[in-house]
Amino acid sequence: MPVQVFSFYIFDRHTECIYSKLWIAPPPPRPLSSLTPQHTTSNSHELSPSAAAAAHPHRQSAPANLSLTTTTGPAPSSSSSAAAPNNGGYRDSRSAATRAKDDAKLIFGTVFSLRNMVRKLGGDDDAFISYRTAQYKLHYYETPSSLRFAMLTEPGALSMRNVLHQIYINLWVEYVVKNPLSPVEHKNGDGVKNEMFEMGLDKFVRGLM
Amino acid sequence: MSRGVIALLIINKAGGLIYNRTFGEGLNQLNSNDYLVLAARLNPLREHQAAHYYAQQQQQQHHHSASGSIGAGSGGGQGGPLPSRPEPPSGLEVMETENFRLQCFNTQTGTKFLLFTDTMQANVDVAMRKVYELYADYVMKNPFYQLEMPVRCDMFDRKLNSYIREINNSR
Repeated sequence: MPVQVFSFYIFDRHTECIYSKLWIAPPPPRPLSSLTPQHTTSNSHELSPSAAAAAHPHRQSAPANLSLTTTTGPAPSSSSSAAAPNNGGYRDSRSAATRAKDDAKLIFGTVFSLRNMVRKLGGDDDAFISYRTAQYKLHYYETPSSLRFAMLTEPGALSMRNVLHQIYINLWVEYVVKNPLSPVEHKNGDGVKNEMFEMGLDKFVRGLM
Repeated sequence: MSRGVIALLIINKAGGLIYNRTFGEGLNQLNSNDYLVLAARLNPLREHQAAHYYAQQQQQQHHHSASGSIGAGSGGGQGGPLPSRPEPPSGLEVMETENFRLQCFNTQTGTKFLLFTDTMQANVDVAMRKVYELYADYVMKNPFYQLEMPVRCDMFDRKLNSYIREINNSR
């Protein structure tokens, strides 16, 4: 059964995102025009009836700008090039790399707090596997060495635990860990810039879709 | 080993825990403070997702707007054409772990129901709906119940107990 995979992240034991990849942006929600870009500090408008509905998002505008690119920002070149011309100045001023980094941090924060909560509830041997919202499903796998894999897919996807496990065993261990030139720690993902690993991962995930 | 439905938590729209009931073994017993922390932690999660969602919307808008009029600085624009109201982000719906499954249900008014079940439990949606029904019948229709306050309704407790026992015994 084909599965839409949106993105994939690896975090090391220092909580740093050492690898991230996006395949496709999630299906766009229905276009919505009342939400104007809130790049300025427009949070405290007087609330007209129309704005009232949008008030909540306004309050959230700052994190929103940080988080959105998980799905669309440094996306496949086709979509990002399409989006670029229309983007407001503010967004352009932040590099895609910064935005991608912010996304990764947000995802890590979510995953980390859920994982701790799960451990507290289910005991120390419990492991957080996945969570689902109406928009996406996040799958999580943690190795004993605290390497964390997170994958975002469509909400209807079945458990991807074995997939993440396969990625770890067949790709990470084979190509990154066994690479004599790869550093032990992957500062800024340096050690993971590995052609074999990236190609293998891309091929593997595209095989799922 | 039969665990079925393990626990029910109800969280009010401010993120406070207003009901907490354990039906079976399977989860570590937390002290009440931990439950409060848990409840409070699930709320920002939803906010995160809201952030994601609205950000996407903005992105979309950037896509679709042919005019460059919404550049930086034009924070206004509320006077523009009023579109259909967006569907709010759902927040966390289901979380799975090795030992249990957490099903969330958000009512329209922001109350959150958390049902902890074992991983094999089927038809949690149905159970959730029934729990909500019981809540509506025996909590919301209780004239002495104050909104957003902890739920202390005998009838609710009793009905809930018998319903959950029914589920847990039928497996």
